Amino acid sequence: MYHMVVEPQHESPKVVGLVSLGPPYSSEESCLTTATAIVKRAAYDLPLAAPAPDEPPGEAADGPLLLHHAEWFCKLRWLVVAAMLALALVAAVAAPWLWHHGIQLEAVWPLGIAGVLALANAGYLVMLRATRNSPNLAAAAHRGLWLQILVDLAVLTVVVHFLGSVHSVAPLMYLFHIVLVCIFFSSAESLAVTGIAMAMYVSCVTAESFGAFPARSMWHPAPPAAQGLASAAPWVLAAHVGSVAFISVTIWFLASRLTGALRQRDAELAATNRRLMAATDERARHMLQTTHQLKAPFAAIHANTQVLLGGFCGKIPDEALQVIGKIAARCDMLSRQIKAMLQLANLRSSAQDPPPATAIELGDILRGCLAALEPLAAKRGIRFAENISPATINGVHDHVVMMIDNVLSNAVAYSFDGQQVSVSCRAGPSGGAIVSVEDSGIGIPAAKLPKIFDDYYRTAEAVKHNTASTGLGLAIVCQVARAGKVGVRVESAPQQGTLFTLDFPACWGEARGPT
Amino acid sequence: MAYILIVDDDTDFAGAVSTLLKSRGYETAAETDADKAVDRIRERRPDAVILDVMFPENDTAGFDVARAIRRNFGGLPVVLLTAVNNTFPLGFSNKDRDGTWLPVAEFMEKPVDLNRLCEKIAKIVSN
Repeated sequence: MYHMVVEPQHESPKVVGLVSLGPPYSSEESCLTTATAIVKRAAYDLPLAAPAPDEPPGEAADGPLLLHHAEWFCKLRWLVVAAMLALALVAAVAAPWLWHHGIQLEAVWPLGIAGVLALANAGYLVMLRATRNSPNLAAAAHRGLWLQILVDLAVLTVVVHFLGSVHSVAPLMYLFHIVLVCIFFSSAESLAVTGIAMAMYVSCVTAESFGAFPARSMWHPAPPAAQGLASAAPWVLAAHVGSVAFISVTIWFLASRLTGALRQRDAELAATNRRLMAATDERARHMLQTTHQLKAPFAAIHANTQVLLGGFCGKIPDEALQVIGKIAARCDMLSRQIKAMLQLANLRSSAQDPPPATAIELGDILRGCLAALEPLAAKRGIRFAENISPATINGVHDHVVMMIDNVLSNAVAYSFDGQQVSVSCRAGPSGGAIVSVEDSGIGIPAAKLPKIFDDYYRTAEAVKHNTASTGLGLAIVCQVARAGKVGVRVESAPQQGTLFTLDFPACWGEARGPT
Repeated sequence: MAYILIVDDDTDFAGAVSTLLKSRGYETAAETDADKAVDRIRERRPDAVILDVMFPENDTAGFDVARAIRRNFGGLPVVLLTAVNNTFPLGFSNKDRDGTWLPVAEFMEKPVDLNRLCEKIAKIVSN
């Protein structure tokens, strides 16, 4: 059995020999014996699964989030410091009144707690600043959070002691930390924190009950339990501590389940987002390639038609020149059509982040667009009457250029030969700027005005007057106007012309009330 | 006689530009491989370079070449041409992917009016 073999390295297939197929060759490399030469050919198996988007490492995803949690935790702690200072102030000012109402409160311990927490918080903030530059952000932020929680639990145990460890609701304050660590950490770590909190509470109660330090209470007179639990039956103490532990573990279970489910959903959303971003990048790249592949041949055809029209390839009959002129015009139009389609698709793509708005000078943009249109206008004897005052706005430069370019292009396209297009720009009454473009051309019938911003909509009069329009220019204007909250007003009368007024806000995308 | 180097993988386009420039009295040469552009300039320094942006296998080869020209040949003027339009971060005017301005004298979007291109070249060369 004989087969023709072609050498793959050549640009065009080239027969290198007639071979007889022998035993199977290795998949890596095959040697074909030919009458004249030995050709080595490389093998490649196409992977059938599409490559998955790169998964960012856990560090990249977790680090900033943990740091954010740690910063938020510090902010929350300032509130606790403020609450403790307020408590100290109340104790200092209204102690007799409180005593009269059965509450005994000293100013010293809340003040001490506030001081300790404030000092610790200042230390955490310094640590967080250093953490931000840490090469292992996630681990550093994680360690910082653990430190904050352990110190908080110790301070909270002191507060619980002063408020009354067994006969007040103070132990329930541990639940705040248990819920918070369920948000910050994994289930196992949050269970460990729950255990540590309970251990601290049990130590406090045990130390009080065995008289290591006197039990305290915020109530006056102190209930019997506050005198010390040594006198109470052991089962009373066990039942009390057991109840607190049961409530704490139950809260941990519920909170960790909920936060676990949320974390999983969050991870799924993040993965979906990464895939979406990868798809968007791929789409943008594909569109870029497509644009190039479609426009480059037209550019070459267009350039060569100019060579022919310029007479650089010898004299060409007038009829042929007319045909070449039509080819050139169609190439130009197709290129513009492709550009407009892609501009519109990109403006409408919600997956793509809008470019940043910057300070732009509308007068400069107008003059640039007018200069670009000048050769086309001059061919038809159309003049520009400019009244451009400086007007700076905050906007997306490229989008504003697209918008103004389309409005100006339309004014030229739908003017009659030899007419004038008036362009003005001035600062708006309440910031922003007003740009107006007025022609005396074919105009638009009133009934058709609401449709002119639709894709590919062109009035019969417009088609008759100018066959080379893409039909997408005003759709692009509409899209940019909606994104930037630019007011667009069109006033027109058939055979009298059209006035476009663009009311740019001072800040791009900033909605304004009626003026 | 001013010498213009055209760096573009599209030989049809480069040929048309070359024809028109020659008719205006310029000497021209074309290079289709962006990687060899700098070597071609080193062999004989042109008065201006007409440079495409996108090349096979590298979407931004023209940007790299523009930077290499600025690095190695100082004030050698470059006219950047591209068929990619301003709907992408890449290819909008003479800005690179990261938004930095490229060291080019002129930027033109394809299809270009060859007469305008010649006018720009004349202005650049006379400067």
